[in-house]
Amino acid sequence: MLHFNTGACNGCDIEVVALLTPRYDVERFGVLLQPSPRHADVLMVTGPVTKQCAPRLRVIYQQMPSPKFVVAIGACACSGGVFRDCYGVYKRLDEVIPVDVYVPGCPPKPEAILQGVIKLLEKLKA
Amino acid sequence: MPIDLTLIARALIFPGFIFLLALALFFDWFERKVAARMQNRMGPTYTGPLGILQPVADYIKLLTKEDVIPRQVNKLLFTLTPVLAFSLFVFAMFYIPIDGSNVILNSSFEGDLILVIVLITIANFALFLSGWSSTNPYSGIGATRILTQFLGYDIPVIILALCPAFLAKSLSFVAIAAKQAIPFALLIPWSFALFIITLQAELEKDPFDIPHAETEIVGGYETEFSGRKLAFIKLSEDFQFLIGAALVTELFLGGPFGPVLFGPKEMWGAIWFVAKTLGVIFILEYIGNVSARLRIDQVVHSNWKILIPLAILSLALTITCEPLLRSIVS
Repeated sequence: MLHFNTGACNGCDIEVVALLTPRYDVERFGVLLQPSPRHADVLMVTGPVTKQCAPRLRVIYQQMPSPKFVVAIGACACSGGVFRDCYGVYKRLDEVIPVDVYVPGCPPKPEAILQGVIKLLEKLKA
Repeated sequence: MPIDLTLIARALIFPGFIFLLALALFFDWFERKVAARMQNRMGPTYTGPLGILQPVADYIKLLTKEDVIPRQVNKLLFTLTPVLAFSLFVFAMFYIPIDGSNVILNSSFEGDLILVIVLITIANFALFLSGWSSTNPYSGIGATRILTQFLGYDIPVIILALCPAFLAKSLSFVAIAAKQAIPFALLIPWSFALFIITLQAELEKDPFDIPHAETEIVGGYETEFSGRKLAFIKLSEDFQFLIGAALVTELFLGGPFGPVLFGPKEMWGAIWFVAKTLGVIFILEYIGNVSARLRIDQVVHSNWKILIPLAILSLALTITCEPLLRSIVS
């Protein structure tokens, strides 16, 4: 799993980081935070995709070895949130890269993000 | 020439390749579990009983992933070095007695301690080359850090490995391990403690995990690797860990020799070996988890100004106390 911030207000980021703490501990499911996109399977994107950030996001997505999956975290990544229709941002994350799971919320609870990861696993099985 | 089936069985199954692979994966799991428990987390839980199959699942996943080769890299070195490092570590492991004798029977000779240290050194160079060939600034920094750190810890490791060798009057693992009716860790605790600390540097654990400091230089030398190559690099790290713990076990804790309670001697050899290495890994992981990372210049300074003089002192102390220690043993 790789965490990438495309211009979020840090609310969702803190919820993502909370997943790694003792209270939620995603390592129980074998999920680890990886330092490099080359090591990652799942890209977790938080925040509205700004026009400046989009090319970098694309590069990072291309650097990941397939099979690769993208989780859009937070209202901004799913639908633009309060930044929808702003001149500097894309409306949704899936205008830039393909998205597998959407986790709405502002910010979504860590449980919701976990649920999203489990949804992704179910999707893989099917 | 008739094919010797026991030789093939020993090299491939027990205590050879498959046993070592299972042991390395088990230690990987143990390491993650200890780290998680120390951080008040659960660690891997759901893959197999107590999450014990988590490393296996991770490696199978890595083996099935796409193998990206960036356009700029030196293709030969980039593909060769992960496999080279892995095979060198496995080769070094074959010289360490696990069930009372080496993996290939009667291949132990006077001086295999030096051979194993040389093999580990060459394998470290292979890891350095893997970072160097991947033409990524982070890998480059990580690779140079491996070498800089290596300059510091290699000399103390050799000097400290000589202390038990001197007490046992031998440079072969089997002879050193067999001489320890009382483990050398109790006779020369000063060398044992120093060896554990230098081993932390060799294994790139905190406080010496500078070559792949995630918060500073992404993944260090392994940043650009993915798929099968990353699997080999991770496996060679696991084997390096196994060899480090095995070195301590053989040199200071009496290796596979211990009381035989019932049944065949070889079985107890393997059981004692695994139990002792588990203890060593727990100590190493404990130190790694309670300490913070040093800077690279601090590591080089502390290695040259503190560890090397201390290592020489402990060797001198061992030589001086040798008659006294000999009278305690006998």
